[in-house]
Amino acid sequence: MRKLPILLLAALPLWAQEIRLPPELNRLSAKAVETVDVTLEGPLLQMAAKFLSNEKPDEAQVKALISGLKSIQVKSFEFATPGEYPESDVEAIRSQLRAPAWQRIVGVVSKREGENAEVYTKMVNDKIAGLVILAAEPRELTIVNIVGTIDLSQLSALGGRFGVPRVELPRQKKDD
Amino acid sequence: MSRLDDELRNALRREDPGEDFTKRVLERAAALPPKRSWRERLLAVFGPAGNRWAAGALAASLLIGVGGIEYRRQQRMRAEGEAAKAQLMVAMRIAGSKLRLAREKVMQVGEE
Repeated sequence: MRKLPILLLAALPLWAQEIRLPPELNRLSAKAVETVDVTLEGPLLQMAAKFLSNEKPDEAQVKALISGLKSIQVKSFEFATPGEYPESDVEAIRSQLRAPAWQRIVGVVSKREGENAEVYTKMVNDKIAGLVILAAEPRELTIVNIVGTIDLSQLSALGGRFGVPRVELPRQKKDD
Repeated sequence: MSRLDDELRNALRREDPGEDFTKRVLERAAALPPKRSWRERLLAVFGPAGNRWAAGALAASLLIGVGGIEYRRQQRMRAEGEAAKAQLMVAMRIAGSKLRLAREKVMQVGEE
């Protein structure tokens, strides 16, 4: 029992490396014309994996990808007009992604088009143990937070060959 | 050797069962309760005929009830699983597409 506090203290830095998406992000869904908000972790992620077919190539690919995952969180907002989300919301996430735990492997800032893309990874024993993608465009903001081991090349292959594919599945579409 | 033969012969020698042997056997067989089939024995557990019907109806209702609950549980689990799968597929496609987009932007910058 005496060792328990020591173990908890030892585990604290690992826990602290997990990022938390600011609750302010949820308010953006009120402004957005389309919102995707997916959080899958633990048992729900495992249950989803059980329903993935080995026969369908895309599902089999996802099944292989998520075998080492602990959680996946995606928030994507599409706005009718540019500049409807505050930069502070993105900064609140960016400020948590600090070295040495996190490393920015991609950082593209396009002032001409206003499209920014950042990819951060967390390495544990030479393996990717966490991935955060921040994609901020004038009319779209997407945050991806993946916890667990993941193969980046396989994940990239899922996204379609050219640019961002339209996603047909459950988007919360607003009428206004 | 001859002693063993004698003992065997003595043990296996014919004995007269007596004149009333057949009568005693028949009397004892008549005194035994009649042998019931497994169906009769099963029905006897539930008592009189009215009780049997009630017990049968109760068992059938229980079976239908438990079966219905289990079926609905399976249906709900399937629906939840399919919904979770759909969400996962969306999440992974968005993650993949944004990662690809970032990679393409890096390549564009490199080409410029």
